[in-house]
Amino acid sequence: MTEVIDSMLDLMRRLPPTRTEENVQALVNICPDEADELLQSVDQPLQVLVDRTTGREYLACDYNRDGESYRSPWSNEYDPPLDDGAVPSSKMRKLEIQANEAFDTYREMYYEGGQSSVYLWDPEDGTGGGNFAGVVVLKKTMTPSTPNEPSGSWDSIHVFETAERGRQAHYKLTSTVMLHLITRRGSEGESKTPADKNGPENLKRDGEVSLSGSMTRQSEQDCPLNESASHISNIGKMIEEMEIKMRNLLQEVYFGKTRDIVYDLRSVDDLEKARRQRDLQKELVGFIKR
Amino acid sequence: MDATERIQAASQFLLQSPPGEINDVLNDIRNIISDDELLEQGIHPALTEYNIEQFTVVDVPETNHQSIISDVARVGSSLENEERFLDPRSRLTFVFDHLSLEASDPQPHEPREEHEPFRSALEAAALNYLKAHFNDGVTAVFSPREGSNSYILQLVANKYNPTNFWSGRWRSEYAVNLTNNQVSGKILVNIHYYEQGNVQLTTTHNVSFQLPSGVVGAPPSTASAKLLALIEGEEGKYQISLNETYQEMGEKTFKGLRRALPLTRQKLDWDKVMGYKLGAELSGSKSALPSS
Repeated sequence: MTEVIDSMLDLMRRLPPTRTEENVQALVNICPDEADELLQSVDQPLQVLVDRTTGREYLACDYNRDGESYRSPWSNEYDPPLDDGAVPSSKMRKLEIQANEAFDTYREMYYEGGQSSVYLWDPEDGTGGGNFAGVVVLKKTMTPSTPNEPSGSWDSIHVFETAERGRQAHYKLTSTVMLHLITRRGSEGESKTPADKNGPENLKRDGEVSLSGSMTRQSEQDCPLNESASHISNIGKMIEEMEIKMRNLLQEVYFGKTRDIVYDLRSVDDLEKARRQRDLQKELVGFIKR
Repeated sequence: MDATERIQAASQFLLQSPPGEINDVLNDIRNIISDDELLEQGIHPALTEYNIEQFTVVDVPETNHQSIISDVARVGSSLENEERFLDPRSRLTFVFDHLSLEASDPQPHEPREEHEPFRSALEAAALNYLKAHFNDGVTAVFSPREGSNSYILQLVANKYNPTNFWSGRWRSEYAVNLTNNQVSGKILVNIHYYEQGNVQLTTTHNVSFQLPSGVVGAPPSTASAKLLALIEGEEGKYQISLNETYQEMGEKTFKGLRRALPLTRQKLDWDKVMGYKLGAELSGSKSALPSS
């Protein structure tokens, strides 16, 4: 028998990505026992919150959540405030501050806007070693100023684990990018002067194209380790590589693959004509051969 | 969650099934709800709604063609979960099982004779159009129902490729009103690509136009051929315009969200990133100023 959680994950891989949040909520309501595992396994769009202390925007996800509160990477405080909210150790917090600054630069260079946040957590074994884990999240939204302007959003979630091995560190990265693109079209204007005189009159058209989804990839890598800060540059390079790879992949799937499938369903060219031409050609070849 | 709410949630999931994946979704739902009895009792309305909305195709008994399950194909009222649908091409009605997707008990159906010449001409033209532009398409053309003046032309093409993790559906429907000579139609495309991800293309396109004078009053076969030529033109234009939309999305939206490389055309020098930080903040503070 398939585990319930596997059926839930299979279902989430099939249902429309534009409705992820409501569908996850429905699954949580049906099986509250599976909620934790489901919320950890299904990536949902990042929420933009404002840090009450610094006024800076940060991103909320399952990784900086404690109960109903979210921790800001800028002030290290929970909103709504928590007295006993989990925070990283002071050593980890120092690294987290540096990582947030570094990825803020990365965000500006690649996204020219948007928000970024980095959350780190201490190793579970409590040895205080370097085997920590964390998440880097990035988001950018384009809101149209008119209804017919394209809109979209990009959400990156990079979860990583580190394992120090002497002067080397092993990194394991799982990256998910959620990308939504929407274009609306309405064309009242073109109805008045049909380009084709035999064409229909009073032509009216409107419509919407929505391309949305998420893709997940993993990678593992060993990197040299010189000082504690080089974890950030190692992880930074790895995430940069991954985002470049995934951006190409998204481009291929969103604009190449889905288009090809549309063309598999319907052909712009007349298939009958092509068939007749092929038959004629065969006939000619047969005729010449005789 | 009580039983009604669970069925409601399950029905919502089912109605969101991508093309050709309803059985996968149903299997998932069965395991999640884990109450087959409840599901069997309550899921039928959602299955019916899905099949009707999605133009589910059915092998028509005693023929070698397929027809479309839709609202206009419904005949009479449903009795004890038994619903009859019409295939106007074979003039047969049949019982349709919304779970097994099978048709049974074909019965002859007498069409309204005054509509039949135009309906069958439209059907013939639609079949030609289908052959010319669709690889696996099915079409059905219905005469106006009681209280309506519109012939309904439906078309659906499906491609399911689970081994390569994708599926697609193209649906079109046109209402042809010969009283006010108006045609209104819609094209709906759904694509699902799910290899290591879940990417969906959903498009809607509404179109309406007045029938040109060359079509109005022409004999059924001429009028139908001309009308289908207009539909062919519109659908072809729409398909090509999708390319333009893709290009616009790629060049404006996609690039606007995340650059392929920074303005410097180089990857970040991570060892210097802390140094960059100062510069970025200086230039960033400019754009943060209110523009007066």
